[in-house]
Amino acid sequence: MVDISWQIRLVLVLGSLLTVAFVLRRVRQSRMQIDDSIFWLLFAFVMLVLSLVPQLAYWVSNLFGFQSPINVVYIAIIFILLVKQFFMSIQLSQMDSKLRALTQKVALNEEKIEQEKDDL
Amino acid sequence: MKLLIVIPAFNEQDNIVRVVDDLIEHYPQFDYVVVNDGSRDRTAALCRQHGYRMIDLPVNLGLAGAFQTGLRYAAENGYDCALQFDADGQHKPEYIQPMLDMLEEGADIVIGSRFLTVRKPRNLRMVGSYLISWAIRLTTGQKICDPTSGMRLFNRGMLEEFSTNLNYGPEPDTISYLIKNGAVVRELQVQMGERIAGKSYLNLVRSVEYMIKMGLSILLIQWFRKRDTDSPYAERSV
Repeated sequence: MVDISWQIRLVLVLGSLLTVAFVLRRVRQSRMQIDDSIFWLLFAFVMLVLSLVPQLAYWVSNLFGFQSPINVVYIAIIFILLVKQFFMSIQLSQMDSKLRALTQKVALNEEKIEQEKDDL
Repeated sequence: MKLLIVIPAFNEQDNIVRVVDDLIEHYPQFDYVVVNDGSRDRTAALCRQHGYRMIDLPVNLGLAGAFQTGLRYAAENGYDCALQFDADGQHKPEYIQPMLDMLEEGADIVIGSRFLTVRKPRNLRMVGSYLISWAIRLTTGQKICDPTSGMRLFNRGMLEEFSTNLNYGPEPDTISYLIKNGAVVRELQVQMGERIAGKSYLNLVRSVEYMIKMGLSILLIQWFRKRDTDSPYAERSV
């Protein structure tokens, strides 16, 4: 079994702290909604825990028979991002239909205004 | 003081007529506006049929977006204060006047609170309320007995701030943020009814989601927010 090196752990810690800093900065500037920041804060927290307490990764690794505990970290990241991607896809689809409804509404209103102008 | 009652409504066909008729009949001195949040039922049709004042959102924006629409309407039409009022009949209009009196005594926000003099029940439904109260107390030092109450009254300054900014949902985290920034938030004991018809938006998953969001927001995120009180409205009164 290959250990998780301290270099990788350091990178993970720095990466998650940077994520938190960046997300909080966006919220501070009112350029990100709090709802959307929650995911990234939790994600950074999970990465932080995994890098500070690698025993967790070792434990899961033994439990499921991974070749190396670092693979647990990879799998965790891939899984979380896939789930996120799935929900973003749903969100995008909803936004698309909302945009369509809005566009139609605006166009129909325009047409109504034109008709009223003609009627006068 | 010129008050606007903002009634966000999403799929409230079974309640909206009863709630608005009560306001029109018994409280004609107050203006109201229904913000139909892209309902899929007959909410909008019923409002038109009865001739209610309604802002009809063509798509669903969620409570925060719908309420903000109402506040923009209030800000643009020169109202002095605005009340967040549920369309499901839980909120009782007899408390509006006492809340207004409190606002005139100098509060920025008045919350219609179920648990100011009445003891908060210790049951599962109230766990969230306890936790949020605790988080607000921890971060602001002020005790808010009923942070999740949806009956809130805002003065002109607040409604302008709410109507133009991002991350100003009508939720406890915004309240805690504003307290921290010096807003005067007071509570008034009110009684609330149970919802008579229709079903509540909350279920277990949503409740847990809501708690995580509120917890993180109140305990962590609010410390980092920067307040921007510039207002685009000329008649700003504070």
